Amino acid sequence: MPAHTNPGRRRRGVAVCHLLSAVAATLSGTLAAFACGDELTMAEFESLHKQLQVAADAPWRTIPWKTAMLDAQQAAAREGKPIFVWAMDGHPLGCT
Amino acid sequence: MLDRESTFADPQIVKLLKTRFIPVAIDQANQRRQQDTEGEFYRKIAGQGPRNNFQGTTQGFYIATAAGKLLLYNNNRDPAKVRRLMQEKLDEFEASGAGRAAVSELKPTRVDPRYNARLPQGGLVIRVQAKVLDGYQPTANRWRSIFQSAMSRDNLWVSPEEHQALVRGEVRRSLQERIARFHLVDNTRGEPPMWARNEIQELEMTLHDGRLSGAAHLETARGDRGFQAELLGVVEVEGQTVVRFDLVAKGLFWGEGPYTRGAPQGKFPLGISFTLADGSDLADELPPQGARGWLQGYLR
Repeated sequence: MPAHTNPGRRRRGVAVCHLLSAVAATLSGTLAAFACGDELTMAEFESLHKQLQVAADAPWRTIPWKTAMLDAQQAAAREGKPIFVWAMDGHPLGCT
Repeated sequence: MLDRESTFADPQIVKLLKTRFIPVAIDQANQRRQQDTEGEFYRKIAGQGPRNNFQGTTQGFYIATAAGKLLLYNNNRDPAKVRRLMQEKLDEFEASGAGRAAVSELKPTRVDPRYNARLPQGGLVIRVQAKVLDGYQPTANRWRSIFQSAMSRDNLWVSPEEHQALVRGEVRRSLQERIARFHLVDNTRGEPPMWARNEIQELEMTLHDGRLSGAAHLETARGDRGFQAELLGVVEVEGQTVVRFDLVAKGLFWGEGPYTRGAPQGKFPLGISFTLADGSDLADELPPQGARGWLQGYLR
């Protein structure tokens, strides 16, 4: 089905979901956090955006990785060092 | 993902890589295929190891000389084992005198365009990072625990035309679909299935007064995988350039792919952030996963 823009339908869907999650929470005695993908507020956006950032000081990010074999070969030839290759399905510094 | 939090979290391995080796990280799905100097040098090394059939994966750790002589292939990420093997091979390398031998620097005589995707001039790179926010069963398993707390990383490429549309306050349909199909994915446990165009059930994004908002509903025909998300963010422009693109998608995801097994049961909350890259991160230069081998298909 092609993409379709229908904000009204979406808002109705969210409202129904809120109602159902409230019933479920009452029955189960649990909080139904995130249960509906409820609409984001600006405060939640700011908080989540900050939370969803990779730590710059993660050890693997401090390693001076090259991203091309030829760059590594040239540096190894110049510096007289062996090459360590981290070869994955999908780029190990990105992708996943 | 597992390597980042295990092998490359080991301080001694990190120190060895920084001081005694030339470390290189690659998506070998490119190098084992590409018909150019880069690919030939990789295949020369990998071809000496056990994974020398280039029709299949050759993933793992390799140690080699600048002349292309393989010293080690290993596909075990245990830090103690990797550390020991690195030290052994380093000792062998130094005892052999390979580090003192004159080796010519290889120059690229051919570049295979299919595997050398470049961002069109005037485009934007947006960092994309995703995390499962809840829903996993507690585990004492170390590897599973790493997956459960993992944050993924990819790049979104914005074409020059889409960039200028953002400057004018428009989110082109091509950009909306690229965000949805290739970046509203759960790639926190491995390479994810992307969404086909006919799996977009609903998609809207609008930009008013610098506020980008929208919603997406993506779902397979069988209903075994899907994502219903709200999007909200801020886009700031100076002159003819976007200088801030901060966006968050949050919603309920369900299902998994062949390489992303181990998802939480049922529907679970997934958060995805988008941030304009400033080039300060090495990964900023990497092409999007969805563009692998087919940039035109990704950017269309």
